[in-house]
Amino acid sequence: MLPEFELLMPRTLPEALEMLAQRAPDVMPIAGGTNVIPDLRGGRYRPACLVNVASLPELRGIRQEDGFLVIGGSVTMAEVLEDPIVAQFAPVLQEAAKMLASPLVRNRATVAGNLANASPAADMAPPLLALDAEVELASRESIRRVPLKDFFVHVRQTVRQPQELVTAIRFPLPPPGSRARFFKVALRKADAIAVVNGTVRVDLTENGRCQAARIALGAVAPTPLRAYEAEHVLESQPLTPKDIAEAARLAGEATRTIDDIRGSAAYRRMVTEVMVRRTLGEIAYGEGEN
Amino acid sequence: MANFKVIGRPIRRFDALSKAVGATIYADDYKMPGMLHGKVLRSPYPSARIVRIDPRRARALPGVVCVLTAADIGYAKMVADIPGQTGQRERPQSETPVLAWDRVRYKGEAVALVAAETEEIAERALELIDVEYEPLPGVFDPLEAMKPGAPIVFEPDNIVARWRIRKGDIEAGFAAADLIIENTYRVPFVEHAYLEPEAGVAWVDERGVINIRVSTQVMEHFRTVARTLGIPQNRVRIQGAFAGGGFGGKEDITVEVFLALLALHTRRPVRLAYTREESILAHSKRHPFIMRYRIGVKRNGRITALQADLIADSGAYPYLSPYVSLYATVMATGPYRIDNVWVDTVAVATNNPFTSAFRGFGGPQPCFAYERQMDDIARALGMDPLEVRQINYLRTGDTTATGQVIQSAVLLEESARRALEALGERTPDHGPIQVGRGFASYFQSYGRLMWLHDTSQAWVGLELDGTVVIRCGAPDPGGGQLSSLCQIASEVLGVPLENVVAYTPDTALTPLAGTTTATRQLYMSGNAVLQAATSIRKTLLERASKYFEEDPDDLDLADGRVFIKRDPDRSMPLPDLVRICAAEGLPLAHLALFKAPFRDPIDPETGQGDVFPDFTFGAFAVEVAVDTETGQIEVLKSAACHDVGRAINPAAVIGQIQGGSHQGLGYALMENLIVENGEIRTPSLSEYLIPTSVDYPTTQVILLESGTGVGPFGAKGIGEPALTPVAPAVANAVVDAIGKPIRELPITPELVLRALGKR
Repeated sequence: MLPEFELLMPRTLPEALEMLAQRAPDVMPIAGGTNVIPDLRGGRYRPACLVNVASLPELRGIRQEDGFLVIGGSVTMAEVLEDPIVAQFAPVLQEAAKMLASPLVRNRATVAGNLANASPAADMAPPLLALDAEVELASRESIRRVPLKDFFVHVRQTVRQPQELVTAIRFPLPPPGSRARFFKVALRKADAIAVVNGTVRVDLTENGRCQAARIALGAVAPTPLRAYEAEHVLESQPLTPKDIAEAARLAGEATRTIDDIRGSAAYRRMVTEVMVRRTLGEIAYGEGEN
Repeated sequence: MANFKVIGRPIRRFDALSKAVGATIYADDYKMPGMLHGKVLRSPYPSARIVRIDPRRARALPGVVCVLTAADIGYAKMVADIPGQTGQRERPQSETPVLAWDRVRYKGEAVALVAAETEEIAERALELIDVEYEPLPGVFDPLEAMKPGAPIVFEPDNIVARWRIRKGDIEAGFAAADLIIENTYRVPFVEHAYLEPEAGVAWVDERGVINIRVSTQVMEHFRTVARTLGIPQNRVRIQGAFAGGGFGGKEDITVEVFLALLALHTRRPVRLAYTREESILAHSKRHPFIMRYRIGVKRNGRITALQADLIADSGAYPYLSPYVSLYATVMATGPYRIDNVWVDTVAVATNNPFTSAFRGFGGPQPCFAYERQMDDIARALGMDPLEVRQINYLRTGDTTATGQVIQSAVLLEESARRALEALGERTPDHGPIQVGRGFASYFQSYGRLMWLHDTSQAWVGLELDGTVVIRCGAPDPGGGQLSSLCQIASEVLGVPLENVVAYTPDTALTPLAGTTTATRQLYMSGNAVLQAATSIRKTLLERASKYFEEDPDDLDLADGRVFIKRDPDRSMPLPDLVRICAAEGLPLAHLALFKAPFRDPIDPETGQGDVFPDFTFGAFAVEVAVDTETGQIEVLKSAACHDVGRAINPAAVIGQIQGGSHQGLGYALMENLIVENGEIRTPSLSEYLIPTSVDYPTTQVILLESGTGVGPFGAKGIGEPALTPVAPAVANAVVDAIGKPIRELPITPELVLRALGKR
């Protein structure tokens, strides 16, 4: 049963940040509520007060700004899926959003909430890690930007302080030769928590060399993570089957998997390797050529 | 009535639109003035002694109207058996405490009830009931539970039921075999996961009758409620509602007794509705089985002997386990002619969630085993899987393992062939993706055990304007049961379908029609409506024959008119004929009682005897693509072909088959209620996954209509049979793809990789 709480409905961002400052630490921002409400029902936490930030004008919209793509703190998965700027510069985000939960949830769930909830299996975390995203955290006193790779602390823990609000997520627009693909292994095709998810991104030069590589993985450790050693194998090289296999192997090694009801640790590790290899193959050679 | 006007037409069910637009009123939608809200306190332990229960703090909470523990209800027990039937012997262990007082035997067992002014207060009151438990060792594995020294769930031992079949000479049968295939199969707990969790509202009316408006498959639970409360049976009224699915999970009593107790003690209306999580905790599950099969076969493919040891986990209380394990026993051989059969089945008590009815009722579990065995036999003999089955399929006039003679058509070969053909061209393998095909045949009973003396009643009446009312106590949990009854009356009375109304069951208003279980409602109540309508038809035609001065046989009813067959222009509107009959006091309504054939129980030592009124036969075929690196399985195509006898409403029949097919695909590939030490590790629909609309492509449905069933117009039952062959067909397809055996469900990606030796 939903416990009792006070619900505050700020009309502006300063008002919201003031409320958070006054009520911290016994306060929780809420937008889509697709995680917060089940958590309240399940008794995971019981804040005395919720601050509804879903309709703050400052948190709306997706825009291009100073070479960055900026996703407002109340932007939903459904909005990401329909956005032409995202389609142009970061279609991998749409690949991931399409795989997240169900249409009903996607109409409410926000990108910011998916990150702030800090599930190890959050579907938006790997693509945003691969895009070198930063999280903008605002409080009454200050605004700071935290690289997403430093944002997650542990299962369901981030560096966000109770008085802080995720006001935006931004990342530099990828260069023209950048290719990224999302993958997800789950126990059904829709509305399922990932057994393993991930994003592989390769920035290719005109002559086909890999300028930069990102391999981001979810559901394989207490937090979403980057497989740095695997990335290094690929950098400054043309993408050869040998390097791809080695990068995939190292990606598997980077995992710190556990057994749970969705899969065993060993399965997760094994499938991570398979999926990284396949996804790199798709990027290098096209669909179905792995 | 050779040329049907309404029967066999794919009509839109009268309940379809209102369900699609959300207008249907379900049990949980009713509100009553002054209504209280009920809640159930449940055991957090799978096995514990209750040291003390103290409800005082909960009772003191403002807004709490009533807190009931076992002490307040006279330590009442309820019989978790089949209500409203005779012929079964009452089993000694079939009583279940309504509320536990000295021991809890499974996690989620009810310990106390609360009624309060709001749901929130009721919820808070639960936290204020002080219960001291002393955890006891439990037993969570049926094999362990049968060993000496195992914790005893119930005295004297953990054996809930035993069944056996002894037919022919088993040793001679194996001696005559060229080859013996022996394997052990395991299938898991499965959750019904109906759309609508259990819900109801109860109140005591001005006569002192307890009214319970509830989502149920069984109106006759008013008898259980009365007996449990120690009140006369005519003092409990059950009002049914359209149920949002049942699948057997609403065959046992759910909220009814709790509601009756709270309404009686508070003298106010009380609502009780389970959350999804409580539903998963509180109601039955499909039985996990461990099944050891030995089949002896000649080199020419003829089976000489079958021996099966079936062990079912009954969970903490018997409920319908004795019956489910009987069904499994009777159907253990599959639809094959086998002269030498030896089956031993045991249902074993554990401290796991209790198990009971679930679509197929003990049919699907052995089907997984025997149809996997048949493919293994084909492989071992180097024969085609269909060929080896053809050699052994039952035919009309053959006897089953219990000695029952099959009377109806047996279209096993045709159904398998048609289902396989429907798969079309084979999809090629590509890279690590390997494609496989499989099918499974089955037989499944419809109608109840014949010694239960099953009956159904229906009342059909004509109004003066020529419209028709059907009063029949058949619950409709979504199969279109009531809509089919309307079609039957419409056909027989020649009344347009839109002029027929069937009421939702209500024990005060609709004659008792028995349970919507055992794939019996079309068979039983369809026949009852057919009888009632035929009786009125006779009255109408006899009166019309005087008017037209024609023989009644030369007259017919259709489109709201009575007419002369050879000269249809000579006719009379039905309302005119009705008025003539009414003016003469002729009966324009009829209450019919349809009786299934009655038999004595089977011989307990040999299992020999007639068990069921008839069987449905058919097949399911499927093509899958197995990713040999990730273990993931993609269903590419599937086809189901069943002899439904007669499709009263083909649209509804196809819906049943597609629903059953996908529920079966979930059973095969996805659904897995994980229970560890009595605790459900998949307690909500976030962990317990059922298929979504995008997981599997639509199953092609091929209907065969032999017209030989015992239902109305030769119909057979299809509700449960639709699911039975699906899981073994999928397993056979996966084995075909990877060349390694699969002997358990669900076939998860990890299971596939294990079978491939990759883990």
